[in-house]
Amino acid sequence: MAEGALSIKLRCASWQQLATIYKRDLSRSRMFLRAAAPPPIGTAVHVDLTLPSGTVIALEGTVDSHLQDPQRGSGVELALAPLAASSVWLIESALASEQRRIATPVRGVPIAGAHALTGIVPTLGENAEVTAAEQELIKALMSEAESLKKLNPFLVLGVGYEASDAEVRAAFGELTKRYHPDRFARYESIELRQVAAEIFILIRDAYRRLVDAAARAQVLQSIGRTAPATAPGPATRTVAVPPRRPPSVPPARGSARVMPHVPPLPGVPVPLPSSSSGAIPSAIPASRSAPVAAPGAALPVDKSGATAIAPGASRPPIERSLRRVPGEGPPPGAVASPAALPERRPASGPFSQTQPAPTLVEPGEIDALDDLIDQGRLDEALAGYRLLGKRAPGDRNARAGIELCEGLLALAARDRLEAAQRFETALEIDPSNERAARELAEMRRQATNERKGLLSRLMGKKEP
Amino acid sequence: MSRIIGIDLGTTNSCVAVLDDKGQPRILAAADGERIIPSWVSWSANGQIAVGARARRQGVTNAAATVFGAKRLIGRKVNADDVSWFARLAPFRIVAAPNGDAWVRVHGQPISPQEVAAHLLRAVRRVAEDALGEPVTRAVVTVPAYFDDAQRQATRDAGQIAGIDVIRILNEPTAAALAYGAHRVRDGRRVIAVFDLGGGTFDISIMSVDNGIFEVLATGGDSALGGEDWDRRVLERLADEVFDRHRVDLTAIPMAMSRLREACEAAKKALSVDREARINLPFLAHDPQGVPINYERAVTRELFETQTRDLLDRLEAPCRRALADAGLAAGEVEEVLLVGGMTRWPAVQDTVERIFRKKPSKGANPDEVVALGAAQYAGILAGESDDAALLDVTPHDLGIRVGDSQFAVVLPRNTMLPVRARRLFATTVDNQKFVTIELYQGDSADVIRNRKLGQVVLDDLPPGPAGTTRVELVITVNVESILSVTAREIKTGRAASVTIRPSGGLSQREIIEIITRRRNEHAALGVPPEAIGGTVRVTTRDQVISKPDDPDDRKP
Repeated sequence: MAEGALSIKLRCASWQQLATIYKRDLSRSRMFLRAAAPPPIGTAVHVDLTLPSGTVIALEGTVDSHLQDPQRGSGVELALAPLAASSVWLIESALASEQRRIATPVRGVPIAGAHALTGIVPTLGENAEVTAAEQELIKALMSEAESLKKLNPFLVLGVGYEASDAEVRAAFGELTKRYHPDRFARYESIELRQVAAEIFILIRDAYRRLVDAAARAQVLQSIGRTAPATAPGPATRTVAVPPRRPPSVPPARGSARVMPHVPPLPGVPVPLPSSSSGAIPSAIPASRSAPVAAPGAALPVDKSGATAIAPGASRPPIERSLRRVPGEGPPPGAVASPAALPERRPASGPFSQTQPAPTLVEPGEIDALDDLIDQGRLDEALAGYRLLGKRAPGDRNARAGIELCEGLLALAARDRLEAAQRFETALEIDPSNERAARELAEMRRQATNERKGLLSRLMGKKEP
Repeated sequence: MSRIIGIDLGTTNSCVAVLDDKGQPRILAAADGERIIPSWVSWSANGQIAVGARARRQGVTNAAATVFGAKRLIGRKVNADDVSWFARLAPFRIVAAPNGDAWVRVHGQPISPQEVAAHLLRAVRRVAEDALGEPVTRAVVTVPAYFDDAQRQATRDAGQIAGIDVIRILNEPTAAALAYGAHRVRDGRRVIAVFDLGGGTFDISIMSVDNGIFEVLATGGDSALGGEDWDRRVLERLADEVFDRHRVDLTAIPMAMSRLREACEAAKKALSVDREARINLPFLAHDPQGVPINYERAVTRELFETQTRDLLDRLEAPCRRALADAGLAAGEVEEVLLVGGMTRWPAVQDTVERIFRKKPSKGANPDEVVALGAAQYAGILAGESDDAALLDVTPHDLGIRVGDSQFAVVLPRNTMLPVRARRLFATTVDNQKFVTIELYQGDSADVIRNRKLGQVVLDDLPPGPAGTTRVELVITVNVESILSVTAREIKTGRAASVTIRPSGGLSQREIIEIITRRRNEHAALGVPPEAIGGTVRVTTRDQVISKPDDPDDRKP
């Protein structure tokens, strides 16, 4: 929804109310709302019309005129966008049976005299608090989904790289309790549930990849960890910070495993252009259920050609999945793993991932600075990263490290906006910067929790 | 906002519960104190409808117009195996609807099982409203774990006809496990078995529960085995005795049989605790000389057990099969939960113990435990309880048709919802112009034996040799089992999508017609429409439903 748009909720307690609203307002694509302080003409208004059955019809409209109605008070009239034909049909059918009862009051008594009707004139701002809180929560959840997309499965679940199955399951259980769409059913907002479902799908995919040994080995490999028994992380922290991935294409995964019947197809986990981030763990369902596709990659053509089963393609397609990044592509045959498919914008620095940066910075130096961060010695770490940055002006690790330290410092100073921006910049520079991704996700989780609490409190007040 | 009730809509009996102010689920009793409502509906010749115990009593005199077991028909085709079995056995007529669905015919009128179930739900709703003193419009309704999307949707449709918004369909074993508190055990993953022997059906479900997440590992059962079989065996034996002694064939006297059946059922209940019970039925019938028979007999648990030994044996095979399907040995099941009144029977409990090698849990009332669990989940949905989050899973494989009639599974059954899956597919012939992606649900490798859910057509594919044009298929299933399917050609980005709401056999138009017809009938009688109920489901702005007048919707 556009910024500054208003949202109201309108509940019909009975079919008669719906009939009245339909006859008086919807059927002429307009709606009157009472408002003490009418918003300017042209303001977008979103109305959730809840039917007596509890289902919701979403109406979009704009403020068309300001009215002074002697009976209904001062308010605004909305011009509504046309309703979906199916909605209209459904409402009309439902009301057909009510006709006998509603015919008299609506036809016989002019609206001006119908006192009963004034009771159901919705007041703009009646539920404004709740609606605003709901919108805030939706926004918070959406940004949380965005940050989760950038995390590897371990970070999504918040478990260490050596986490046992039981730990993974426990983490999944906790997150399920928090994000399962059913947890949002109480808010009665379909949009909220949809966003929650998006987050839950990410959590579920992460879980599925970690409880399956083979998939987990793949994940570990793609983030540069081969053996599960390396580098035990500190017990107090949930996540052991892994060594920085060298700026090169991650090890190619067996494309055959991902898509056995489309053998040499490189870009199997294709990021959809519609999605805002490329790092969707899209290969999970494919790899998980790959064996089932054994019958072949055939699609029935039509009834006549349906007998053919394609043996599968043997030529790589011309177009690459990474066409969003012109001029940059992994070496032939390499399959970009989901974890390595974060947004690669040209703005991310002079060094593309295919052209390794000159190794002016030793990995050991970065590790040492990371240790400083872990110990909370942020100023020292920042100074260290700045030094590195001067020595190797193009180094992604150094540049991202500076942003990370600035972000952490801002967070310590309770400047959350600044911190979030810093972390985002760090991630843009170095999409594999786990610390930044984790901090961002944590901040967003907190934001969600706060908004959820606020909305619950508001609704609790409204609906005892 | 009104409270959400939990409804156990059973094959034989139904039950309703709600979460009380202290967060405890409690059964809502009818005004006469009855906590369970027999799932029977009866139509008298003058159009009066009786529901529950009253309808069951009418089953004696008005058998052809008294419907029970509607749950066996809901969302089913008339030619399904166990539907034909039930059709042979039922005293009322089961007919095929134009689309092949199983309907009943009462007084010459075809009636959908959804409508029959709606009568039950309406009665249940009335019980809840009377007990709570407030209107009830929303409910969680339970169904067996093996119900497919059509059966689940048909159950939702029944709710809609009854004026209840079924906000969630919940698996019965999950509800039972919830009521038993199986999710509160904190020591990691546990495997439980839910042994449900009700009046007419036997279901066994093997589940895992882990931090409040339930997964159905396997289901099995015998839809033709239930407590009524125990009653019938003893009833037949007693009728034989009467014939031997008095030369009177009671089976030809419905009223006598009905009285004797009720007495047998009562004796069975008593014998679950005591070793002996008395049946006393004065003036049961007249002997050939016209002398009244005052039936009196002591029945023992032994009598029941000798008559029903083979029924116990029939419990074992489904359990073994379910265990095998779940890949578990009997000893690996950590807890066995008992559901259904018949599990009170000592010999049944012994059988369970022998199969699973452990004593079953008996902490809850087996007749009520499913409804209690449904109420608990209703509380979670309403935000009144922070207890657990349940994961619903897809009941059957979901996939598309490939080649001639092969079934390529995209989402295997028991996949947690919500879920999104992506798959790439390639064209099969050179310069293929379009692809038709047909979605099916079922567990057969042969797509024809599965149920078609819908299809999406992607046309204007770019020309190219077979196999080079790729179509990405993205399937999203939300917690209400609503499918969104998008097919996208990789090169051009051309996409087509469809949203498939599962169909229970009735179109929206038919549902509304039913509601309208009922309202008009009642309006003629002067009943206010609020007392009738009936809701119209409206899809949200970004959902496309299969159009009600879509010819595909109507064809068998």
